[in-house]
Amino acid sequence: MIRSTLFHCLLSSRGLLALLAALLAVPGPAAAACPERAEWPTRDWPTGALPAGREQALEAFEAYAFTRVGKDEERKGVRTDGVLIVHRGRVVYERYAPGWKADKRHLGWSMTKSVTNALTALAVAHGALSVDDSICKHVKAANEAACAITVRHLLEFGSGLDWKEGYESGGGLQSSSVLAMLYGEGRGDMVRFITSHALRDAPGTSWEYSSGDTTLLAGVVGAVMRPRFGEGWEWRLLMDPVGVRSAVWERDGQGVLVGSSLMHATPRDWAKLGFLFLNDGCWEGQRLLPEGWMAVSVAVSEPLKQKRVDWDPGDVQGRQFWLNRRVPGFQDEKPWPDVPEDAYAMRGHWGQSVTIIPSRDLVVVRMADDRQSGAFNLNTFLARALPLVEGTP
Amino acid sequence: MRRTLLAVLLAAWVPALASCGSGGRRVYDNNDLELVTAYTAKDACSCLFVMEREEEFCRAFVKASPAVARLTIDTEQKVVETSALLLWGARARYVDERNGCVMEP
Repeated sequence: MIRSTLFHCLLSSRGLLALLAALLAVPGPAAAACPERAEWPTRDWPTGALPAGREQALEAFEAYAFTRVGKDEERKGVRTDGVLIVHRGRVVYERYAPGWKADKRHLGWSMTKSVTNALTALAVAHGALSVDDSICKHVKAANEAACAITVRHLLEFGSGLDWKEGYESGGGLQSSSVLAMLYGEGRGDMVRFITSHALRDAPGTSWEYSSGDTTLLAGVVGAVMRPRFGEGWEWRLLMDPVGVRSAVWERDGQGVLVGSSLMHATPRDWAKLGFLFLNDGCWEGQRLLPEGWMAVSVAVSEPLKQKRVDWDPGDVQGRQFWLNRRVPGFQDEKPWPDVPEDAYAMRGHWGQSVTIIPSRDLVVVRMADDRQSGAFNLNTFLARALPLVEGTP
Repeated sequence: MRRTLLAVLLAAWVPALASCGSGGRRVYDNNDLELVTAYTAKDACSCLFVMEREEEFCRAFVKASPAVARLTIDTEQKVVETSALLLWGARARYVDERNGCVMEP
C-alpha cells in the first residue's frame, strides 16, 4: 500500500520521475563523474567555425605558426606541419603546411609517453596492475637493484636509474642513453637495456626526464595485459573505442611498445587522445581510465619536488604530462605565463604538442619539424591561439 | 677523399674516447656511425611506409650532419638499408599497419 502510494506520488511529478530515471540509469558514482557531451568524435570530428571578428587574431596566430624562414634545407626557425584546434568538442581550425594533410600520420615522439600513461591506466582499471607493484613482479630486471622501482616511480620519472636523455645535443652520441635504447645496443631488448642501468638515487627520491622510465613502463604494462587480452589489446581497449584508427606504434626486438617515443597518428587522432584526457578519461559517457586517474596525472610529480636531475626551468611534470603549474621553491612562475594554469600538454621532440586546457574546453594540436633548438615557443603559440576562441558566449 | 674519411672517423671516435675518461658516465656499445646508420634506416622506413611521405621528402627528413649514411630503399619489400664507410650499416623493415617499422638485429 505504501509502495503504491509512493508510486502514484512519483508519477504525479515529472521532475521526480526524471530524477528516479536518472538514478536507475546511473549505477554508481564512477560513471556519474563522466562529463556529458552532445557529440563525440569517435567516427570523425564535428567541425565548426571560429567566432566572427577574429581576423586580426588569426593573422597574428598564423604569422607565428606558419611563417617559414630561410631555405628549407637549412631547417631554421618555426616549422609547423599542422595545427588543429578543438573548442567545445568541435574542430574550429585546421591547417597544414605543404605536403601534409589531415589523413597523414605524424610521429609524436615523446607525446607517446602520455599515451603510455593511458595504457597504464587501463591495466589498473582491469585489475592487472597496481601502481605500487615492483617492476620485478612482472618483468625481469637485468640489475636486481632495479626491483626497488615501482610502476608509480616510472609514471613520475622517479626510477632513480642513472640515465642520460638527450638526442642530438652536444657531446658524444655514445653517452646518450636514449639513442642507445632506440637505435643502438638497447634496441633489441629495451626492458633489459633500461634495467641494466645502475641506480643513481633510491627510487622515488629524485626526478629525471627519462625515456627509459616510460619504455620500461610500457614493458611492464604489456607483460600484464598481453596474457589477459591477447595481441592487439592496445587497439581493442584504447584506440578502437576512441576511434584512433590511424595509430601506428613501433616496438623493440622483443615486441615491447616503444612507450617513450614511437607512436604515429594523424593530427585528428592525436586530438582524440587529447579529448579523452580533457574528458577525465571518459568516452561517450563510459569511463575508460579509472576515476581520479587524470587528476593525479596532472598533479606535480612527487619526486620532482624532492630532487631534480638535468632539470631546466619550466619543466614541470606530472605523470607523463607537461604541466603549467607553479611549484613553491623552484618554479615561481607558470611555465607558460600567458596560458591558464590548468593547461597541460603531451609534448614531443621537434615541437610536437597536444595542449589541453580544461577551463577553456580546448585542445590544441601542433605537429612540427622544428630542428633549431629554441626557435619555437609554446607559450607564444598558445597565447596567440587563445584569442581565436576566447570570450565567445 | 682519404682525408674526408679520416675526418669522419675522428669525428666519430674522438668524442667517444674523450667520454671514456670523463668518469662515471656509461658509454654505450654503439659507435656514432652505428647510431647514424641505424637512425637513418629506421626513420626513413617510418617516413616512407608509416607517414607515407614521398621519397625525396624522406631522404631530406633523415639527413644527418655530416651526411655519412648511404640510403637504399626497396619500396616493393618495404625495406630500407643504410651504410657508412663500408663497415657500418643498418636495415629496417616495415612490419604491418599497426607495428610500423622495426630494425633488424
